[in-house]
Amino acid sequence: MLYKAFYGFSMGICLRYAGNRDEAAEVMNQGFFKVFTHIEKFDQTRPFKAWLGKIMMNASIDFYRANLKMAYTEDLDNAEHVTDGELVDRNLNYEDLIKMVQQLPQAYRTVFNLFAIEGYSHEEIGEMLNINPGTSKSNLHKARHKLKQMILNADSRGNGGNFSGGANYSTPIVAIRTMDIQSVFLNKGIRE
Amino acid sequence: MSIEKDKDLDDLFRKKLEDPVDPVGYNEADWDALEGMLGKRSKKGIVYWLPVLGSVAALLLVFFGYLVLRHPASVVKPGNGQQAVIPSKKDTITKNSAINRQAIVNPKTDTILPPAAVNKGANQGAKPLIAAGSMAVNPKRNKSGGNNISGSNPAPGSKTSPASIAQKPVLNDAVSSRSDAVLVAYNVAPSLQDQLIINQQITQTNLQASATANPANAPVGNKVRIKAKTGFQPRYAISILAAPDINGVGSFQQSKVGTNEGLLFSVGVSKKWTFSTGAIYSVKPYITPFEDYHTPYHFAVSPINVTADCRMLDIPLNVGYQVYSKHQNTLSLGTGLSSYIMLHESYKFNYADIYANGPANFTVPNSNKYFFGVLNLNATFQHQVNSKVGFSVQPYMKLPLTNIGYSQVRLQTTGVAIGLNWNLNSSSKP
Repeated sequence: MLYKAFYGFSMGICLRYAGNRDEAAEVMNQGFFKVFTHIEKFDQTRPFKAWLGKIMMNASIDFYRANLKMAYTEDLDNAEHVTDGELVDRNLNYEDLIKMVQQLPQAYRTVFNLFAIEGYSHEEIGEMLNINPGTSKSNLHKARHKLKQMILNADSRGNGGNFSGGANYSTPIVAIRTMDIQSVFLNKGIRE
Repeated sequence: MSIEKDKDLDDLFRKKLEDPVDPVGYNEADWDALEGMLGKRSKKGIVYWLPVLGSVAALLLVFFGYLVLRHPASVVKPGNGQQAVIPSKKDTITKNSAINRQAIVNPKTDTILPPAAVNKGANQGAKPLIAAGSMAVNPKRNKSGGNNISGSNPAPGSKTSPASIAQKPVLNDAVSSRSDAVLVAYNVAPSLQDQLIINQQITQTNLQASATANPANAPVGNKVRIKAKTGFQPRYAISILAAPDINGVGSFQQSKVGTNEGLLFSVGVSKKWTFSTGAIYSVKPYITPFEDYHTPYHFAVSPINVTADCRMLDIPLNVGYQVYSKHQNTLSLGTGLSSYIMLHESYKFNYADIYANGPANFTVPNSNKYFFGVLNLNATFQHQVNSKVGFSVQPYMKLPLTNIGYSQVRLQTTGVAIGLNWNLNSSSKP
């Protein structure tokens, strides 16, 4: 079963762009919906996984376009100052990092994903998201700043181990401001 | 933060997030959700087109029904009056020929040429007309005339055999005195044709009188009688219309411009009254204070207002009364009810504080229906360009009778529709 076989791969992509698991599942299903309804467009000479990954990324961007209604305009100067430190040796696993990414504002998170993980340039990101390359750079800078802040805060609570193992990362234990939490609006939540 | 540090941070996330082995376990509920989407899509396709197809089918049904019902009545249409006139022309010619027969006198010989001579002479000059007329309309008379033509019983006192006149050349001096009669006969046809119009009334009267005597004319007489009994015929028309309008909730203080495009079918049931229906695709954006937006969802922070974009199919059922008609222009006042079939609704929530932690938007993918939930009021000015085509300008207002949409708002609309009308009745005229 195609869906089950590529569920983990697709969900991995969508989790990076989404604010939480439910949102990621919704975006992933939108992506699979496109796959199943446009399967004839798949070029069989190319790897399916790459095609699927591209569709999931585009579904995430579509979701970003549809849902990003409030620009996040926090001035970086007002943010807490973060000192540089060694980051690569932190004992952070996948779950720690994905939770950090998900706590980023949607605009920052999307740019960070596209630049740092997918490898797109700011010009390409600007075209994808319909923003200026300068805005993309700015959002990336702010995303890095916040991620570093989260890493250091996690480290200050005990070598980063508290971030995993079922800790509630959305509680004030993590030193982020409430307004940083990306609001997630689910249709199913509003209906009934 | 240096560039190297940035790169390290990027690498850290890329290595661990790029291709996770098993980030999250398979959840059957997600597949169920996708199945629902796929099923909904195919169902949605049908649901989306059902009203449109239904409207088109209804229009086609009415149109073909009109054609079928109209067919038996085609004998009474004005155009067929010509059918009643055509035989009368022939008959008129014959009758006038008969009259002229008596008038054709050879001035030199003072002999009256027998009718056969006239007919024969006329047949030489205007064979198709006279021959057809004399043979078809009054064969009996021709028969008797034919007996005379044969010359077996020449008229007493006649010096010239009619047959010889016909056989001799017209310009022959030897028979010039007789050829005068032939020349007169040649002129009979055009003079008769000129008199056709004058004699039509008399001819039709004679036709009715002779209908029983002449079986060929009997159907014509019936047609004339049916025509006299014909009353008002329903008028059918199709209109293509487009309309910009403004939409507001409760009032038009905060309004937004929408668009409408559609097809209407109208039936004029009398000179004054017209019924119309059809399908109009409407885009109705509007903005409403949050107080007027109804939802079961509890907002932690209330938005200040809601911006909506609604797409729907408007199916009106209107009646119009003509209050003015002069030359090619008419003015009608109309009212009726509209049914809204919602195709798409999306709402954006605007907050006073841009950092407010609340939902940004909401999309309703379903297709709710609100039958006869809107009151239509309109005034239609129509200008008929010709018998088939006309155009119309229709200021209108739509007032809600029920709450509309997911948000259950009292959405009202006003605008001006521009229409191009096609009269179906006149399309079959020759």
